[in-house]
Amino acid sequence: MKYLKILCPKKNKIIMLFGILMIFTACENIFEFSAYMANVQEEDKNTTAKNLQLIKDIQSESKDFKFAFVTDTHFFYDNLKTVLQNINKREDVSFVIFGGDYTEQGLLKEYEIFYNILKNLEKPFVTVIGNHDYSSNGGIIYEEMFGAFNYSFQFNDNKFVLFDNIVWESNKNPDFDWLSSELSNSELFNQVFVIAHIPTTDDQFSDVMEQTYAAIMFENNVSLSMHGHRHSYSYEQLYGDGINYLTVPSLKNPEYSIIHVKDASFDIEIIQL
Amino acid sequence: MSLKNIFTILLTFLFFTNIAAQDSTYVKSKTKAKEKAWYIPDYVKMQFAGNLGLLSVGAGYEVINNVLYSELLYGFVPKSISNAENIHLISIKNTFPIFTKQIGDFTLSPIAGFTTSVETGNNSFLTLPDKYPKGYYFPSAIHFTLFAGTQVHKEFKNQKIFKGADLYVEVGTVETYLFFALSTKEVTFNDVFSSAIGINFYF
Repeated sequence: MKYLKILCPKKNKIIMLFGILMIFTACENIFEFSAYMANVQEEDKNTTAKNLQLIKDIQSESKDFKFAFVTDTHFFYDNLKTVLQNINKREDVSFVIFGGDYTEQGLLKEYEIFYNILKNLEKPFVTVIGNHDYSSNGGIIYEEMFGAFNYSFQFNDNKFVLFDNIVWESNKNPDFDWLSSELSNSELFNQVFVIAHIPTTDDQFSDVMEQTYAAIMFENNVSLSMHGHRHSYSYEQLYGDGINYLTVPSLKNPEYSIIHVKDASFDIEIIQL
Repeated sequence: MSLKNIFTILLTFLFFTNIAAQDSTYVKSKTKAKEKAWYIPDYVKMQFAGNLGLLSVGAGYEVINNVLYSELLYGFVPKSISNAENIHLISIKNTFPIFTKQIGDFTLSPIAGFTTSVETGNNSFLTLPDKYPKGYYFPSAIHFTLFAGTQVHKEFKNQKIFKGADLYVEVGTVETYLFFALSTKEVTFNDVFSSAIGINFYF
């Protein structure tokens, strides 16, 4: 008995408990090897393909529908949750498009946090990559977790083109040939929307790149070119050619946009919560 | 007595009380090879996980006796596990034993500390590339981890190779993750803390 007492005085018990408690608090991610890991969990992969199927399933004949555009979520995780809960309540919103910058440093942990909060969204969603999302191994993670950087889909006779226009962080030029060929059949659709993270007037683009993009929008009669990155609102015809350019604020404040697509036009509504 | 003499006596006094103070600390007193050269490490170590690599190895010094243990570590994650490039991490880890408690042959101590890690092979940079405006990004090659845990020390009976060893278990996180956990409701401590296990062998 005396021996036991020596072995386990009160203080040691506290230390032991402390130690055991510490180990179990970390049971969700038992071991992590590095912040630079890019090993996306199997159930988090191919998110774009899964959601495009869901979007296909809810299509109808209606030329009148709404979608939400949320961008630059960064680490504004609480505002993201607030916005998602608000979108869930909007029965008139068919799907959600995210405009990029889901991370600060392109880390897997950041992607996972974003992905896990997105589980609260009860509507299909698609994403386009942002400049921050390319940092470190972010490009690899994005491709695994979501899918292709450039892709398109159709909804109720409208075409949506999601275009990766990151230059600096991706170490490559935007694939304007792809964009041009993807939009070449735009006359077959009621309206065409293009979503790319960075606005055309940004420092990342040379004058040639900016003009190339604007020319593709004009030639294919795109209804709306949608962007984030600036963390501010703007809506204007930048090049006097009748093509509309929209930039939506970040989630620094809980705000997002709803685009009401009509037969031959659309309305933009900024929701501030 | 000149001022110089007073100063010398004072210094000598401080010097001896300092040694006496060191000797009075019972913990790991046997492992303190005071005769060895200053640059010879006091111990070698190996750690599993803890954001310092799948496995990290290195050598350490007892910088401040019983207060600060600092280590230089090399950590590695192979391509096959990282799903990107091989990850090479150079880290300086600082461990502070909060207090020590002798239990039989073992010395138990809660520990806490922080690590600075550098990795430049995974699209990360130490100095911002020229294409970016000044201050556009913080260097992505540097990360800090914070950790706390428990360590058990044992002196070996046979001290031919190693005089003693520590076994430790920690939970820790990366600075960015901790910021998210502290600044948002959506990210909990459970989301960002993970464990590490390691061992130190003392010369």
